[in-house]
This record gives sequence, structure tokens and C-alpha cells, in this order.
Amino acid sequence: MTGTRQMVITLFVVAVACAIVLSFVYAFTEPRIAETQAKLTLSGLEEVISAHEYIEVMRDTLWHALDSLGERIGIVFRVFPQGYGGPIPITVGLDTENRITGIRIASAAEGLAETPGLGAKITETDFTGQFAGKTAEVIALEQDGGEIQAITAATISSRAVSDGVRKGIEKYTGHVAPAFDKQELFTEASGFIEIIPDTLWYAITENDTLGIVFVSMVQGYLNDIGFIVGYNKAEEITGVAILFSKETEGLGDKICDKEFLDKFKEGTPEAITGATVSSQALIEGVEKGIKRFEEYLP
Amino acid sequence: VTKLNIFTRGLVKENAVFVLMIGLCPALATSSTVRDGFGMGLAATFVLVFSNLIISILRKNIPNEVRIPIFILIISTFVTIIDYMMQAFQPDLYRALGVFVPLIVVNCMILGRAEAYASKNSVVNSIVDGLGTGLGFTLALTVMGAIREILGNGTFLGFTVFGESFKSAPVIFMIMSPGAFLVIGILKALINKYVKRELR
Repeated sequence: MTGTRQMVITLFVVAVACAIVLSFVYAFTEPRIAETQAKLTLSGLEEVISAHEYIEVMRDTLWHALDSLGERIGIVFRVFPQGYGGPIPITVGLDTENRITGIRIASAAEGLAETPGLGAKITETDFTGQFAGKTAEVIALEQDGGEIQAITAATISSRAVSDGVRKGIEKYTGHVAPAFDKQELFTEASGFIEIIPDTLWYAITENDTLGIVFVSMVQGYLNDIGFIVGYNKAEEITGVAILFSKETEGLGDKICDKEFLDKFKEGTPEAITGATVSSQALIEGVEKGIKRFEEYLP
Repeated sequence: VTKLNIFTRGLVKENAVFVLMIGLCPALATSSTVRDGFGMGLAATFVLVFSNLIISILRKNIPNEVRIPIFILIISTFVTIIDYMMQAFQPDLYRALGVFVPLIVVNCMILGRAEAYASKNSVVNSIVDGLGTGLGFTLALTVMGAIREILGNGTFLGFTVFGESFKSAPVIFMIMSPGAFLVIGILKALINKYVKRELR
């Protein structure tokens, strides 16, 4: 018995000691890791579109680029099309007229898995430079009817990049500033002041600020769900509306039902049967959005 | 046995990669450039020295039946430490080494030294043993990285050697997986022919 007891105690003590040491190391390195990561992301964004400020709209995926006056001059998004050796991390800058301002492909040291000397040549400016100034219609390889010249002996990688960039543009352009009626979410308001372009507004009356309206996105079951939320000073949701969603017909798309969306006004709704993933995603997305933007509440 | 003997045994006589042929997976996978090989070697050395140190201190208190789980716990703690440290201070190197940093945990060289040496020897000797073995591993990876980077990329530590004309069309497959096998095979053959006999 003493043998067993000693075994258990030793193992326990060592495990606890290891956990304590690791928690200290984590607390020490975590801010540094976040800082390094943020710096890297920022320098990547600056390479494709130079702006005064970048507002992260979707975590690590979509940013709004603002000039020093706070006007939106474009967007930056990230796509990871499948290449020859693995996903290719591409950062794309787009101006307000949907022309590419620049693209950047991560190097091998940053996770690119294309063949060195062949597919990896897609990172060189000879190739990436071709994209600047073009719109989605002509982003395809020359042999596919577009204007992008493939790299010799690296057609698969070249095609993955051009197709990935084009699909990315198609995916994100429509989603940046969709039309919607903010009044529906905030019936008492008489007007709205834009605080962050296409993202955040103050809902106001003549002599008071009632709350905020914000736009956000979340990954649903099939695709991203874009939504808009009204949130008042009393920290109540005044309304939720779906901007775009391509969830499964008859199941996931039930999140667009007014009946479900109205439940947000009375607190957190329950997930919809048959659309658990989509509705759960929306519920979490709304919560996260509120957490992110509530500091703007007057 | 002198300290120097313990040190050189790990570094040369029982070099993990070239003589014992252990730890080959990271040796093949992370030796495509000098920087990656050297970085991987130092990371493994750090883990080896500190896991040897702690295991040697605890050696009289570890029940024989649970020694392997305890070794693994201690080793994985140090691997996690070096993993966080690299992420925070050497993010480029961390990305280049990828999954092979966490995989140091299962490097049999480290568990091997814990089981065969640190659990039976004094603290100071265990540290020296860890240093020798770790630096021997580093030496092997750096040599392989140098050969592969020079031939396969036309550079050494990023600086061009043999001029631009070679750099524009180097022996690309040397920095790919087949190059790793070829280099280690040729090096092992040379060592077998010229070195081993004198050490016997």
C-alpha cells in the first residue's frame, strides 16, 4: 500500500509543480506573444494598403482601412486557398472601388508550404505585382481567360492564388456595406451618427444619445453570417437583423425568421432545433459584438 | 570519468544523430537551413539540460514504477516553456520549426538521457551530459543545415555564396525532404569509413 501511495503522491506533486511553473511562464510570455502577433499582422496589412488605422471587423480575416480623417479608404482581407503543398495564406487590399491595392503572400517561414524554387515563387513581386490595380473580373490566369501570367512550372500554385483572390473579393465586397434600415432596430431614434465607417453608429434623438448600432460577422454552419444589432444605454438589445446568410435552406436559415430574432430583445434566446449550429453561432456572435462595442455606449 | 569525458561522449563519441542514429525525425525535418537546424538544436539542448537537472535532483524520490510518466511530465514542461519563449521572442524561427518544437517532447534522445543517465547520476554530471548530448545534436543539425542550405538555396545563414548565378538555379531538392536523407546518408557513410574505427 505504501508503494502505491508514494507513487500517487509523487506523480501528483510533480504534476502540480509543473502546472504552477507553466502558469507563471504563460503569464509572462502571453502579452509578448500577443504583441508580436499584432505587430506582424499590422506590418502585413500595411504592405497591401497603406492607411492611418485598421479596424478589425472579423478576427484575423477582415479589416477596414481608414485614413487620418476616419474615412474608409478600403478593406483588407485574408484568404487561404488550397495550393500544391497546402493552404496559401494571402492578404489582399481593396480600395473603395473594389480595385486591388496590393496582395501579399506569406513566405515559407510564415507557413507557406509550396515547393521551394517553384511554387514558392508566387511570393515574389514579379508575380504578386500583377494584381495591383485590377478588379475581380480579370483576376484569373491568362489560360483561363484572365490577365494574370502564371509562373512557369508552378501553374497549380499560380491558379490557386488568382482564384483565391478573386473568390475572396467576391465574398467580401458585397459584405462590407450592405444596405439595411437602422431605424428598424432603433425605432425611437431620429438619426444616426457614423462612428466607425460601416460598422458602428450612435442612435440619437434631438437632445440625447440612445445607444449604438453595430455590424458584425460570425462563422455559421456553412458560411459567414453578417448581422446588425441595436443596443441601448440600459444595456438592452433593441433589435437584431441578418444582413446576409447562406445557411442550409429550411434549417440553418431559420435564423433569419423574425420570430427568432425578436427573442433577442427579451434576453438570450434558445438555439433553434434543427439549426443549432447556426443559431448558436449567431447568439455567440451577438454577445461578442456587444462585448466589443459596449465601451462606445454613451 | 572526468567531466570532459562525459561532455565529449555526448558531443562526438555517442553523437545522437551521427552515431546513435536517434532523434532523426527532427534532424531530417528541421535541417533545411543553418538557422533552423541551429535553433532546433538549441531548443532541444535547453530541454535536455533542464530535464536532466530536475530528474537528477529528484532521482532518489521517484518511484521506479511511475518514473516514465514523471520524466515525460518534466520534459513536456520544459518543452512548453521553450515553445512559449520562442513564440514570444523568436516568432520567425518558431514558425519555421512549426510542429517540431512541441514534438521535442517525444524526441527519444531526451527521454533516453533521462532514463539512462540523469536518473542514475549526480546533478553536475547530468547537466554536463545534457549539454554534451544537446550540443552534439545541435552540431549535427547545423552541419546538415549548412550543407543543405548552401547547395539547395545558394546561401549560408541567408548570405549568398558561390555568386548570384548559382543562387538563381541551385540544387533545389537539397532543401526538400530527399536532400535530408541524402545528406545524412552520405555523412553517416563518411563517418563510418573514417571516424568510427579510431574510436573503437
